[in-house]
Amino acid sequence: MRILIADDEALSRRMLEKALERAGYEVTSVENGKQALEHLCKPDGPRLALLDWVMPELDGPGVCRAVRTRSEQTYVYMVLLTSKGSKAETVLGLESGADDYLTKPFNAEELRARLRVGERILLLEDRLVEARENMRFRATHDPLTSLLNRGAIMDLLGRELHRSQREQKSTAILLGDVDHFKKVNDTLGHVVGDEVLGEIANRLLASVRSYDFVGRYGGEEFLVVLNGCDPPYAPGRAEAIRKSVSNRPIQTVKGPLALTMSFGVLLSADWGPRTVEDLLHEVDIALYQAKDAGRDCLRIAKPDAKTEAPQAALPQPVRRAH
Amino acid sequence: MTSRENDVHEPAWNQAELFERVDNDRELVRELLTIFKGDFPRTIGSLAAAVSSGDVNNSVSLSHALKGMLLNLGGARAAAAAARLEELARAGEIAALRGAYDVLEREAGRLLPELDAYMAEVRR
Repeated sequence: MRILIADDEALSRRMLEKALERAGYEVTSVENGKQALEHLCKPDGPRLALLDWVMPELDGPGVCRAVRTRSEQTYVYMVLLTSKGSKAETVLGLESGADDYLTKPFNAEELRARLRVGERILLLEDRLVEARENMRFRATHDPLTSLLNRGAIMDLLGRELHRSQREQKSTAILLGDVDHFKKVNDTLGHVVGDEVLGEIANRLLASVRSYDFVGRYGGEEFLVVLNGCDPPYAPGRAEAIRKSVSNRPIQTVKGPLALTMSFGVLLSADWGPRTVEDLLHEVDIALYQAKDAGRDCLRIAKPDAKTEAPQAALPQPVRRAH
Repeated sequence: MTSRENDVHEPAWNQAELFERVDNDRELVRELLTIFKGDFPRTIGSLAAAVSSGDVNNSVSLSHALKGMLLNLGGARAAAAAARLEELARAGEIAALRGAYDVLEREAGRLLPELDAYMAEVRR
């Protein structure tokens, strides 16, 4: 494990280095508090630190305070090491954000034992962070496809809507539906249906860039948000995404299946001052039109011309024959 | 005077304490003494100048630094003298600094020959 030693006194620093190297730590040493802070604030900086109290530039408690004011960074376990020894100073040191306090001259065994306490705390923190990240992932991703779930993709779409309006950036929304998916489930079973959805998710994800979003909108519907996609290129990109599904059969436990998808596409140039729900309604109309045109194709939404769409046939929310 | 300065049984250099602290690493002791021999004269020289000029801030920081070095090396009596000097400087007792410095110098005068003797022995 990596550890930072900050001590302006060369003799003390060398003793600490040796004691910690002997205990298997990867040691970085600095001579003042300012350098210590720079190391500890690096994204991949050491997470264990031994800080002398009295140091030039910035003292040990000052380093602790500065480290603790950072947010959204991993925890750093800090031990103040000093020849100061009064109760008031101990309290001051701990209240500055230090986790522990050792008085000079240190005893190597005690020092190592206290650092092991620090390692246990850091391990506990890692486990908590991991558990939190797992929960966050589960709350925002679809368990079958591992794509963003409906709530998460809607949330991202909402943010993207604001961003594109604010920055005048071009964005495209694609709403896709697997053609005749119900037949797959009815004739080959849900296991095959799940395999199909998983493979389609993989293909959609593989066909977009790292900064685009793909989510499972529901059932066999997928929502794709293409960021920074200029209008002239959007139909071509949407077509490439559509073909990523239809261009080769999907391998399942019941054999290969040739499947297709239909897409509705909406370009940000046509968004206007609409809400996310309105946009999804518009793109849903376009998807309906693609289905109506024989499936395995895409249709670009034309919001201003929506009165031409057969409104009576579009209950809210729009439901299509699969 | 602190209790350690008064303790006639306290050696100028507690060699065993230092060796215990460094897991009996002789090479490291030699390295530490070399660092000390380089740093100590410079630091105590600066401290003498600070005390002479009544510079309280530098007297505090330099005596504090010496205290740390001496404690780490097992020079408890000299460290106690440095601690006393630091305490007086913190309290702003300028008039008492000279006397405290003399005690420190005297204790250092007892410690340094022991360290030199050790270094000469390990060089042989």
